[in-house]
Amino acid sequence: MEDVKRLLIVDDEETITFSLYRAFIKAPVDCEVITAESGEEAWERIQEKPFDVVITDLAMPGMDGFELLKRLKQEFPATRVIIITAYGSDEKEQRAYAIGADKYLEKPFDINELKNLVFQWMS
Amino acid sequence: MKSKLDRRKQIISLLNERFRETAVTRPTDNLAAASTSALPKSSEPDTLLPQLYHFYRSVIHNINSGLLAIDFDGSITFANKKATQLLGYTGKELQNMAVQHLFADGEEAARLLQLLKLPGKQISEKETRFRQKNGQVITVSMDAAPINDASNQFQGITLLFRDITELVQLREQMNRIERLALVGELAAGIAHEIRNPLGGIKTAAQVLRDSFTEEDVESQLIDRIIREVDKANKLLKEFFKFARPTPPQFAPVDIEMIIDGVYLLLAPRLKKQNIKFVENAEPHLPQVYVDETQIEQVILNLFMNAIDAMPEGGTLQVRISRRTIPMVDESLTMDKSPQLEYVLVEVSDTGTGIPERILPKIFNPFFTTKKDGVGLGLSICSRLVEENHGKIDVMSELGKGTTFFIALPVFKQ
Repeated sequence: MEDVKRLLIVDDEETITFSLYRAFIKAPVDCEVITAESGEEAWERIQEKPFDVVITDLAMPGMDGFELLKRLKQEFPATRVIIITAYGSDEKEQRAYAIGADKYLEKPFDINELKNLVFQWMS
Repeated sequence: MKSKLDRRKQIISLLNERFRETAVTRPTDNLAAASTSALPKSSEPDTLLPQLYHFYRSVIHNINSGLLAIDFDGSITFANKKATQLLGYTGKELQNMAVQHLFADGEEAARLLQLLKLPGKQISEKETRFRQKNGQVITVSMDAAPINDASNQFQGITLLFRDITELVQLREQMNRIERLALVGELAAGIAHEIRNPLGGIKTAAQVLRDSFTEEDVESQLIDRIIREVDKANKLLKEFFKFARPTPPQFAPVDIEMIIDGVYLLLAPRLKKQNIKFVENAEPHLPQVYVDETQIEQVILNLFMNAIDAMPEGGTLQVRISRRTIPMVDESLTMDKSPQLEYVLVEVSDTGTGIPERILPKIFNPFFTTKKDGVGLGLSICSRLVEENHGKIDVMSELGKGTTFFIALPVFKQ
């Protein structure tokens, strides 16, 4: 049971969470995939049980991706965090890496790049 | 009635002659002097009238606005000193001139005269355009009021006006910047909003793609969806770059090098379209303090427009010179104001020219006269120049060509 990896996908765009969920449940590694539609919901799930990887959007109503990233890096530094955003800018990218993001991707991204990264960290 | 009017004109003409004579003999008259020396001290009737005359003459000639008196048929009967300065005519030239000649729009003068004949009608701070003797048009703020005789009969009008050309230009420039910023923000917002669903489409399509083999026709269709999404995203990125340029990376730059670089890039096209390139640069030009890439983009855009304006060939001329202008500081006189140093780049073509009515719109976003243009080129130029602390302006004459002026700040060690 300890070998089951945990992945959290956070985005208020349902098409993204649904598609990514479908992509990762077929993963070659034993992976539990959970989705959340807001920063608050994500933080509740994380506190219940930590995740190996969190993929999170930046612009979300309520707690945004930066805040979630900050809390994660403070309380769960071992969790890898991938930022995905449609509101990209050089400034946001720099800020995300400064807080501790492991990867920053702008939408629309290549899902194969995302999958490779996640599986590499989980294996 | 006719003879009464003629007599009136004769009297006014004589008075004006007196004004001119005294203006020559006593050029240093001023209001302060007049107010202390010309106010009646004597009750003698023969000294009172000249004193009053000099007092009011001084007041009228020293007000910092142009003043015109116009009789009821539209002829100018009097112009103060400021009016002659602002309009470029002598008092004698203005005498009896039809006021319509001064208005850039002659019909406006006729409408104005009609309007002021209505009882109690006055016009306050109306913005209009006058044409100077040299043909140049200035924007003025004008007050107009009727002159009535003792029996309250309309005799003519007084026009009080001041030159607000620079103020209007500044206001238009501010409006332009605000519009550009607004459009930039709007466009950037839309671009981002579109990227969100594009992200969803691409992710969903890629997940779906995994359900088919390479040979399935569905795979080929899904690949097309992904490719089109990537294409749309690329367009958005380009547009985003235009709509909200990155902050300038200021550095000392040789403007001649930028111009030479752009010329080399376009030389084959200039040759093909039979366009001669002439560059006149003042010796020992200082470096400018700008973002090299952004100013290069501005120059490239202006060159491309010039080429488009000369389909039958012509001359593309660039003049570069060093200029100094006083900074606007109302607490200081012009000669004591700190000076701003600029390098002025003038890009002229001998092309079709831009009609006067559309000239004020050319820097507006999405305004274009080109068949397949988007209308962002000059608005981006304007925005980039502003962000590099410079100024951009344009002059054009139909059939003769267009000149763009770009003033860029000089690099200070």
